This record gives sequence, C-alpha cells and structure tokens, in this order.
Amino acid sequence: MSGFFLAIALGLSFGLFSRQAVRLYRTVRAGKPTSRIDDLPARARAEAVVVVGQSKLLQRLGPGVMHAAIFWGFIVLFPTIVIAMIGAVDPHATLPWLGAQGWYALLVDVFAVLVLGGVISAYAIRLVQRPKRFAGSHLGEANLILAWIAGIVVSLLAWHSSQIALGLNDFPREWAPVSNLLANAWHGSWVAVLERVAVWTHVLLILGFLVYLPYSKHLHILVAAINVFFTRTRARGRLEAIDFEQPEADVRFGAATAKDLTWKQLLDTMSCTECGRCQDACPAYNTGKELSPKLLIMALRDQVRAQSTAALVPNAVTDNVVWDCVTCGACVRECPVGIEHIDHIVDLRRNLVMVESRFPDEAGTMLRDVDRASNPWGKPQADRAAWADGLDVRVLQPGEPPPEVLFWVGCAPAFDERAKQGARSTAKLLQQASVDFAILGPREACTGDPARRMGDEYTYQRLAKQNVETLNQSKVTKIVTTCPHCFNTIGNEYADFGGRYEVVHHTEFLAQLVREGKLEPAAGGRKITYHDSCYLARHNDVLSAPRELAEASGNAVEMPRHGRRTFCCGAGGARMWMEEKRGRPINEERVREAASTGADTLAVACPFCTVMLDDGVRQTGTKMQVIDLASLLHEAVERKKASPQP
Amino acid sequence: MKVLVCVKRVPFTGGKMVLAPDRKSLETRHLGFTISPHEECGVEEAVRIIEAGGGESVVLTLGPPEAIEQLRDAMALGIDRAIHLQTDGSEWDGQATAAAIVEAIRTEEGSGGFDLIFFGNESADAGGYQVGLRVAHALGRPCATGLKGLKVEGSSLRCEQDTGAGRDVYVLPLPAVVTVKEGLNLPRYPSVPGRMRAARKPVVSSTPARPESRLALAELAVPGGPGRQTKSLGTGPAAAPAVVEMMRDIGVLA
Amino acid sequence: MSVLVLMEDGDPSLQTLTLARAWGDVHTVRMDAIAPFAPDAMAAILERAAADQNATAVFAAGTDRGNDVMARLAARTGLPFAANVVAADPSGTVTRQRWGGSLLETATLSSARLLITAAPYAFRVTAGPEPAPVDVRRYVEELDPRDLVVQVKEHIDPPGGGVSLAEAKVVVSGGRGVGSADGFAIIEDLTRLLGGRVGCSRVVTSAGWRPHSDQVGQTGTKISPELYIACGISGATQHMAGCKGAKKILAINSDPEAPIMSLADYSVVGDLKEVVPAISAEIRKARS
Repeated sequence: MSGFFLAIALGLSFGLFSRQAVRLYRTVRAGKPTSRIDDLPARARAEAVVVVGQSKLLQRLGPGVMHAAIFWGFIVLFPTIVIAMIGAVDPHATLPWLGAQGWYALLVDVFAVLVLGGVISAYAIRLVQRPKRFAGSHLGEANLILAWIAGIVVSLLAWHSSQIALGLNDFPREWAPVSNLLANAWHGSWVAVLERVAVWTHVLLILGFLVYLPYSKHLHILVAAINVFFTRTRARGRLEAIDFEQPEADVRFGAATAKDLTWKQLLDTMSCTECGRCQDACPAYNTGKELSPKLLIMALRDQVRAQSTAALVPNAVTDNVVWDCVTCGACVRECPVGIEHIDHIVDLRRNLVMVESRFPDEAGTMLRDVDRASNPWGKPQADRAAWADGLDVRVLQPGEPPPEVLFWVGCAPAFDERAKQGARSTAKLLQQASVDFAILGPREACTGDPARRMGDEYTYQRLAKQNVETLNQSKVTKIVTTCPHCFNTIGNEYADFGGRYEVVHHTEFLAQLVREGKLEPAAGGRKITYHDSCYLARHNDVLSAPRELAEASGNAVEMPRHGRRTFCCGAGGARMWMEEKRGRPINEERVREAASTGADTLAVACPFCTVMLDDGVRQTGTKMQVIDLASLLHEAVERKKASPQP
Repeated sequence: MKVLVCVKRVPFTGGKMVLAPDRKSLETRHLGFTISPHEECGVEEAVRIIEAGGGESVVLTLGPPEAIEQLRDAMALGIDRAIHLQTDGSEWDGQATAAAIVEAIRTEEGSGGFDLIFFGNESADAGGYQVGLRVAHALGRPCATGLKGLKVEGSSLRCEQDTGAGRDVYVLPLPAVVTVKEGLNLPRYPSVPGRMRAARKPVVSSTPARPESRLALAELAVPGGPGRQTKSLGTGPAAAPAVVEMMRDIGVLA
Repeated sequence: MSVLVLMEDGDPSLQTLTLARAWGDVHTVRMDAIAPFAPDAMAAILERAAADQNATAVFAAGTDRGNDVMARLAARTGLPFAANVVAADPSGTVTRQRWGGSLLETATLSSARLLITAAPYAFRVTAGPEPAPVDVRRYVEELDPRDLVVQVKEHIDPPGGGVSLAEAKVVVSGGRGVGSADGFAIIEDLTRLLGGRVGCSRVVTSAGWRPHSDQVGQTGTKISPELYIACGISGATQHMAGCKGAKKILAINSDPEAPIMSLADYSVVGDLKEVVPAISAEIRKARS
C-alpha cells in the first residue's frame, strides 16, 4: 500500500519536474550560439573552486559560512532521500551498507544541525540584519524556501530520533548524538505514529521541493553549477566578436528581444538567486543610478520566462540602465553563480547603437570622431606624436625594421593634456633604461575600445583590422602600452582579427626594468595610495607590478576597495564620453575613498583614471595629487640620481 | 516625392591644415573623409521627407573614385541610390561643377523630375557659395539658401532662413532647389544594417569632361600673418581681478 | 574705371567699400532696394546696374545675403564668382578664404566683369570719397515677376527675444571643457552679469548640451561682439571662423597649448570651472 503511494508520489513529482525541466532545457537550447566548451581543465577547476569550494560566497564570511553549511549539508544528506524512501515503504529496511554506517549517521546528524544553523542565520540576515543588497529581491519566496529546507532537516531528525526510540535504527545509535539525545525525549505509543509521520513528511517535502524547484528562483541549485562551468575561463575582459561577413539576416546585432540572447545568457537568467552581491559592488548602483546588475538579470529572466517578443529596452530595462554601466566587471567578479552581466549590457547596447541608432547624444560625437578622425577626441592624426615633442622618440615608418618594443601610446596620452604626462614619463624611463622602442605616430588609430563598449562593434572591427594590418606589416612582436583599455583590447581581442602580440602594461614593463636593475629608484616621502584600474586588475590580473612601483616611489597604503575588488573611476565602458546625469559622480566617490587613507598622492596606471580622478579631486576640493605611476617612478629615479653616492 | 541631395567629399581635418607638397591641396594621408557638414543635414532631411511621405531619394556627388564612400554613407542613412560623377580628384570650380550636375539631372529627369533638390549652403573646403544657385538657375527653379527649417506643405515648401536675428520665411512652389545649413536637424548615426544595405544599393557612374576653370586655383597657403597678440592675464581663479580690469579697459563693464 | 558695390548695414559692407575704392569710381546699390528682401530681384537689379554703369567689378560683403545675391548674379550672367576674398586686383588675381578662413587660396578669375564678395573682417575700414548711389527705381519697376517668387514672406523673432547672438556685445562661449549641459550654469551666470549671450562650440551642440542656435563657428553663427570669452574651447579653425569678428577674445583653458591660447587677445590658464565663477564673483564684488 505505502509502496504504491510512494510510486504515485514519485511519478507525479518527477513528471511535473521533468515537464518544466524539459521546457527550460528547450529554452536554453534555442539560445543563440556562443563558444564555451574550450579549456576543459580550467572549467573543471572553476567548478571545484567556485561551486564545491564556495570560494566567491566565502568572500563574505557570515553569509558565506551560512550558505556553505546548507550547500555542503545537502550534498552530505543526499543519500538520506533514498534511505527515507526505503524507510517509508518498510520501516524495517534501509539502504544496504550506507544505511547501517555509524560514521554516516554521525555526518547526517552534524550536517542536519549545520543546515538548521544555516537556515537560522539566513533568517537572521534577511529579517534582522537586512543588508541593502536584497533591495528588489523576492524575499517572500526566499523565506518560503528557507522554511522548506528547515522542514526537510527537522523531519529528518524527527524520523531518526523516533526510529531510535522504537529501536528501528540500522545504524549504531551512539553514532548519532543529536538524534539519540532527542530519542530520549520520545515516550509512549504515539512515537510509532511520529516515526511514520516524520518519514512521510520528509519524503513528501523533498518531492514537493523537486516540483517547486524549476518554477522558482531556487532553480539555481541545479543551474548554477552548470552556469559556472560555462563561464569565461581566460581573458575576462574580452568581448565576443560579431561576424559581419555572413548574410545580413543571420547577423546577430546584439539583443533586441529575449529571443536574441545566447544560451549562456539564458542560463545566466535562470541561475540568478537574487543575492545582490553584484548590486553591492556596482559603482553605478552605489552612486544612485538606475542600473542594478541584479535587477537587470531579473528583468531579463522575466522576459525569458514570459517568452516575450517585446523589445528588451525599454520593456525589461530602460535606456538609462543600459548606459549607466561602466563595464568594470565588479558584478561579474562577485557573482557566485557565474553570471556575466557585461555581456548582457553590451548586447543590449549593440542592438541600440547598431540597429536603433539610439544612444546618449554626446556619445554620438565620440562615435563620429572615432569613425572619421580615428580617435575619440576628433583631433588630427598628424598631431599624434606631438605629446613627445622634445623627447626624441623614434616614429616607426613603414618598411623600417621593428623595434624590440613598440610603445602603443593610445589616444588619451596623445591628445589630453593631463594624460600626456604618464606617456612622457614612460618614454623618458624607457630611454634611461636603453630600451629599443618606437611609436607608430599618425599610423596608430584608436583601438576601437570605446566604440566596442558603446556597442558599435562595426566601427570597432574596422579600426581593429586597420591596426592589426599596421602592426603586422611593421612586424611588431612586443607592445607596451600605458592604457589598460588598449592593453585589454590589443592583448585579449585583437587575436580574433589575426593580431597576436606580447602585450605588457607599462607598469609591468617598468617594474621588470627596476627588478633587473636597469632603473634605480629611491623612495621619497610621498604617502601613495594606488587606484587599480578595472581593466588592469579585475579584467587582467595585473596587481603586483603597480604596487612594486608605488612602493619603490614612496610610502604605499591601500584603499578599502583595492586589487580585484577595486572601485571604478567612472570612465569605463565608454562612460568617459557620456555625461553622468544620474546619481552622484563615481569619480568623487572614489576620490573620497582615496582621501580616507590619508594619502597625499593618488597613483594611477591608466590615462582615463588620470583624467577622471583628477576631475574628482578638483570637484571635491581634495588635497591630493593624481599622478601616473610612471611619473612617480621617474621622480624616484631622478631622486636616486641626485642623492650623493655612498 | 522624388528628392535629390548633392554632397561633397571633404577631408575631416580636426582643425589643422597641412598642405601637400604641390601647395594645391591638403595633405590628406592621415585624414578621414566625410560629407561636408551642411550637406549631411541635407541627406538627413531628404531621408525624413521620404520616410514621412514616401517616394525616392537619390544622392549625387562630383568627386574622385573614393567619393563612393560618401555616397555609401548617405545611402546608409536611408538614401535609395546614388549618382557618381567621377573626376580625377582635381579641383573643379563652382561653374564647372554646376554644369556637370545640371547635365546629370537632365539625364536623370528623363525618368521623372525631382520635386526637391538639396545642396549645402557652401562646401566646407572650397566655400564657393554658388553651386546650388547656379543649378537652380539653369533648371529655372526657385531657390532659397542657408535654410535651417524646412517643411513640405502640399505643392509648396516653407523655408526658414537663419539671419542671426531670428528667421526669414520663404514659401517656394515645388519643384524647387534649396541650400541648407547645419542645425537644420541632427543627422542620425547610421545603423549597421543600413550600412550593409548601402553596400548593395545601386550607384550609376559617369565621367564628365572638366571644362576650363574660370576661377582657377593657383596656390594654397596657411594664413600666418600678424594675427592677435596674446596677453596672459594669469593662472586660475587668481586671474579674475585682471580679467575684470581688462573688461573695464575695453568698455564692456561700467 | 567704374565698380559697383552692393551695400548692407554694418561693418562688412564698409570694409568692402574700402576694397572697392582702390579700384575706381564706386557706385552703390542698397540691399534694401527691394523690401521685403527678394534675392533674385536684387540680382536682377545688380545685373542691370552693372551693365548701365559699365562696371568692371561688382562687390558685396561676404555675408549670407551678400554671397547669396552675388551667386545669383553669377548664375544669371554666366560669369565666375569668387566668394570671401581677402585681396584682389583688377587683373583678376584674387586671394580668397577656404575652410572658413583656415586656408587661403590664390586664384585667377577669368572674366570681363569680376564678381567678388569681400570676407568680413578681412579689411580695415578707411575713410574715402562718398560713393555714388545708383538710381534703381526703373529697374525695380521693370522687374520680371519670376524674380519675386523667392521673397521673404514673414519674419520670426529669435526665441526669448532680446539681443541675438550675432548682434550681442558680449558672447560667453563654452566648449568640450564645460563637460555637461549643467556645466553651462556658471557660463550663463557670467553672461547675465555682462548682459551678453551664451555661445558654444560645435562639440557642445552635437552633444545636445545647447541648441544649434547657440553655436559659434563656420557652420554656426558668425559673431562680432566687443568681447568674446571662450571657455574650455580648444579653438579649432572652424570655431575661430565664427568668432574672428570679435574685437577682443579672452580664452580660458586648462591646456596652455590649446590653439585658442595663441589666437586670443587675452588668456587665462586654468580650469574654467574655477576661473569663470571667480570672474563672476569679482564683478559682483566690484559692483557692490
């Protein structure tokens, strides 16, 4: 009789589960293609570290331990599902071997308690602490799920303890301390009833959970592991290229509707559990703008669920949300389930720019200037080498032998007064270290990064192909650049267009020269705090070299948010060319954080950061000098030269 | 409506003039090219008129083979097809340019006349101020110049001309010729499907003979000369008193 | 030798007169011979006046209307026409502006009757004999109605009334350095104090920070104020083409190397966001 009943329950729940699972699978399979199956060892590693090891969750200790307790608990408790089903049908039977193991009984007891503890702390976080990151999340649903989990472990403990009280346990009772303790409290004839009720409650709660799962945000316990497996393994700053060579009807110009999302993006929407870690780290959200990476993914999920064919902008998110993003990648880095928010934003931008021609007016000036003048400043290319006036820097002419290192200057140092200094210092240091280098001068065009991050992939590819042709014709093999955006684009993205070079950032190159003794700095009295550029630290893992230079130049102190968890200057994702109309200025926020360290010098390693943070210092009236690390190092090298030799 | 827009390929100088060794043209090795800014607004206006009322739009240029890029740019914004009067890149004066365009229009109008023909008020480079008016005269059509507002009203055209002190309004019977100025509209950024479609749109080319120039370019020069003598009034906010004193001196401040 | 000059109100026509006097006896026709303005009619009147006076050259100022009427005259007579000339001699050799004055062209005008407009602010006004006005009444009476098809039907005053950008005594302009539409608040404040008009560079209108009617430059409005204050404007030639009529130019820029810093009469190196409010404060201080 009970066997029959269980069979019906099993059939029903698996049937309902499968129906939705197949629906979800079909949805994902209908997604647009994206290449995510290379590099299997790295994917396995990510799975081990991020999923099994819970590394991203444990970055926040309290919530991390809470989640790890529940997650690991469920892995340990998994076999008890089968054990309970056997027990439900026949109270005297159990799973052969495992059901009788004392050590397993101990594990179950311990983890059942840990899961309960996890649930209680989760409630404490949600109901008492109420962190901001939950703003906009579906808290009711989360509370229901937590209660469900609690019910599952409580019924498990009740079953085990009543089994012990009735002598039905196959495992040695002394190995299950919690159940054993509880069993002492059970007396009387109703214990037999309790044992039946507990085991059936346990089984039905689990089967109910199985049905509820694929319809809820708790789907993440199934999808997250898959999504993490398919995240980017290398070059996190790289965007996928659009193939414009195919027939127009087949070209995917970003995402206009939910139907245009890639299968990975669809998986992203199903993985989100609304934890808000992305939102907490987002510079746009934290300065009062419309964008929340969490709400973005939730809004896209709603469109996917509804199988909507409506335009994602403005039906899922407003235009402002799309343009608020600085592509700093903080959200992507924080996300424990491998969601890649930047890809969504860029795809929405690609559609708006390339199909709808819709974007903030002021960015149009930049796009036209990049297209016509080959630089976002709209200045004459003939003036590209003017920043180096008086420095006797070699301009590589067509047909000349390539230098050992090509100095890729970038548009900002070439055309912006403040950004120029970093390039000048770098050139002087390279000369002092007798490095054989040259610049391309007027033949260097914008890498296309601002156009690409604006969504204008078409203009980007034209420039990328042009630059690759110039570099390849000049037989360039090694490139040093002061601009992290050029660094990311040439190093990570030009390979798609046949450009393969060793690309190093000037901080890495200069740090190497210091290590080799070719440059000898003497640290001075400056108190320096170094601002990590997103495209250096977070997207490309350049962390130590800039710090070596800061320490070689003065007394270095860290800001609260540094390294891979740095906070953007506000210029990334082509925001450099857009007005910051909403919320508070990001650059001022960052400058205040820098000032809180008591530093007198704000060291940077990016021409965009230079301009943004220097503006921030002026706007906030902070007494701090914004200066490129190359200039600091140059100062330190001059100091050494001036100091009396021992 | 059938609308024609005449455009000119000009270098995007970024404000710096560098002469080629022969001193008869600009050094354009590192320069991009664009449609002269006034004419860009003409293209945008033509596209809007056809979008709103239906019909056909055509773009025409007289220029070197590379000027096909500007024709494609115009077609990327929505112009239907192009006429390319190819030259060897040498300078054509306003009279010669107008004559070649008139001949092309007459050939084209064998298959239906243009209701409206757009020109820029003047080209960004040569700045001759005359091609549109010469074409209008040769075709015997009315022409209003320097327009910053335009509206088709049945069989006539309401034209607003910026005078610096408001606007003068003209009403022209169609067919007509207009020369427009930047500020007429804000030209759209070309969509990529638009650019891809532009690559497939038809372009008819011909090679008109260049008549003798009656305004013959001899040589170019970058003006140097005395210019203004710059006096520094200081650095930063501390310069404010010196600025106010200067304003008193020149009489703009009592 | 007799030459004909088409006269309007304002300095550019007086400058043209200076050029014409060097060529011979000057006869004039006024631009307001037909009211409201009708450019084809003006061209017709000029054509007959030039023939009757046997003029070797016809001049006008290189204003919007000057260039318009002269080009119509050129079209109806089939003669070549040189616009915005800065130097000319009766042999037909002219030097004229290209790129709004960023470039000069020496050219030869092959024509029995030279049609020339004089670039505004390229000539110094000098005193000389009064020119002889041509009696145009008969030409006006005998106008072909087709030459009156294009005629001003209506005039719209500038929005907000007041003085126009072209006529303002002081223009305070902002460029890319202003940074945003809101950034113009300090420029507007200074403008109010000086009783002037706000201007801007092309970048600003493309960015949508200001309407195109505020744009100073080759493709915007050409201005001739007593004082032009350029804030955060680099001084691209196309911008300078619009403000070279200014008596005095003050440039405020954080980049001492910006072209405008050597094209202006006065310069202040500094962040406009600090300098402009400081100037406003100084004016208020002086007034109180």
